[in-house]
Amino acid sequence: MRLTSIVLGLFLSFIVGTASAEVVVVVSVQNPIESLSRAQLTDIYLGRLNRFPHGGAVTPMDQREGTTAHSTFYRDYLGQSPAQIKAHWSKLIFTGRGQPPRSVAGDSAMADTVAASPDVIGYLDSTYLGSVDEGDRLRVVAIE
Amino acid sequence: MSGRLVSALVAVSLILVLSVQNAQAQLSDAPSLTLNGFGTLGIVHSDEDQAAVVSSIFARRGAGHSSDWSAEVDSRLGLQLTADLTPSLSSVVQVVSEQRYDGSYRPVVEWANVKFDATPDISLRLGRVVLPTFMSSEYRKVGYATPWVRPPQEVYRTIPVSSIDGIDASYRHRFGAMTNTLRATYGQTNAKFPYVDASGARATGEAESREGLTLGTHLEWRDVSLFAAYSQVRLTIEDFTPLFDIYRLYGPQGEAIADRYDIEDKRFETISLGASLDRGDWFVMGELAQTESRTFIADTRGWYVTGGYRLGSVTPYLTYARHRILSNTSTSGLSLPGTEELDAFLDGILSSQPQQTSVSLGVRWDFSRNMALKAQLDHINHDAGSHGFLVNSQPGFEPGGTVNLFSLALDFVF
Repeated sequence: MRLTSIVLGLFLSFIVGTASAEVVVVVSVQNPIESLSRAQLTDIYLGRLNRFPHGGAVTPMDQREGTTAHSTFYRDYLGQSPAQIKAHWSKLIFTGRGQPPRSVAGDSAMADTVAASPDVIGYLDSTYLGSVDEGDRLRVVAIE
Repeated sequence: MSGRLVSALVAVSLILVLSVQNAQAQLSDAPSLTLNGFGTLGIVHSDEDQAAVVSSIFARRGAGHSSDWSAEVDSRLGLQLTADLTPSLSSVVQVVSEQRYDGSYRPVVEWANVKFDATPDISLRLGRVVLPTFMSSEYRKVGYATPWVRPPQEVYRTIPVSSIDGIDASYRHRFGAMTNTLRATYGQTNAKFPYVDASGARATGEAESREGLTLGTHLEWRDVSLFAAYSQVRLTIEDFTPLFDIYRLYGPQGEAIADRYDIEDKRFETISLGASLDRGDWFVMGELAQTESRTFIADTRGWYVTGGYRLGSVTPYLTYARHRILSNTSTSGLSLPGTEELDAFLDGILSSQPQQTSVSLGVRWDFSRNMALKAQLDHINHDAGSHGFLVNSQPGFEPGGTVNLFSLALDFVF
């Protein structure tokens, strides 16, 4: 029974994986964090939470607006469209209370930026991690 | 706080903002300067030609009487410079150009303040700061950030002032997945507005708000946002004093009427509540605001509910709103020989107060990354005797009727 569900799960994830690009959340290996809840990730990326659960400061990093990674990340993890995210930050920017995450161009630049600091959290295309071995400097964070 | 101190604060904010440019050249990471802007290009059509629709009491020209269509109701442009000086010190200057009391578009310094973050969760702001009366106060002028062409008048019109000179403290607290922000704001402001005086001539009045205190709390939990605020301010509008000085000539009875209705250092209180639920593909939000004062600006209650459904880049939305007067909408005045005209004038002011219900149907189209196009139909139903929020009503205007508006707006941010 259990084996059946594992096989089924693998099969399903394979279908989902091929149907659309998948984006994974990453931190530096210097950062002890292994998992975050969806709500925590949402709060970090919407500027409501400025600390990791273990207490360290967090700086979210974005990919460029208009890229597949950007729209996929916000759709899959936050359930929001790029226009909604833009409207959210338009509220915060014009309160003088916050600025949206800084952005980098592409997966490789994201990997470098995240690896350089334990405070930074970012996201990149899962196929990138398949083609480049970043295991010694990046950790994929499980989002529950 | 004196006007001079405020000018000094504005100057300091500007200097801080500008000085970052030099620092920035040396250190790429530390201080940063950000320029952001927002604006709306909008036109409105009104089918009521005997009175005008304006966006706030501070504007004098609108759609209706002088022209069916007006681009002056919703159009505005705002620029904001944010300087992050150190991780805990920042400064914001925001300048807005929109139609003013005198019909000009001279830019106004909306905000100019210095913010100090004592901790990541406690911050103090000094200077010209936002007046956070309502849930969307901080971005009420940023059309892009709101679903509507303009915030529902039934709530946002009750306190048209959007910034004050003073101090603001906020404390953010997290418990579990909830974030709560408590805020206290204290300060004062003067605001000029156009009106038509007893002789029917155009005039400019000035409202002075002193000892203004606003306490608010904003709770965010997943898709839910809850807001509550209480404000009180001592309000004076000297332009209306002469009217009541005449009443005072008639002894204790006249004094009583003047004390009940004049606006001389009167306490003006506002309570507002708001809630929103945003599920991504649909949202619903609502606010209620109630004001109370012993002035001829009646005790009021306004509320609205807005719901919208996001179909990709297109968001149809529907708003239902109501505004009514809780205090008397008529007075017999003194009813003495010789006061008939005065009594009728005061009664006229009270009975024409805004009481209305409106239904607005609109659609927002996010056609480009930083731009949204909106179209909105408003059907406004005035209660018997009321002029609603219309201004400049002509002799042919019939109170208690209906008005239909059609608005198009292009909102942008950068």
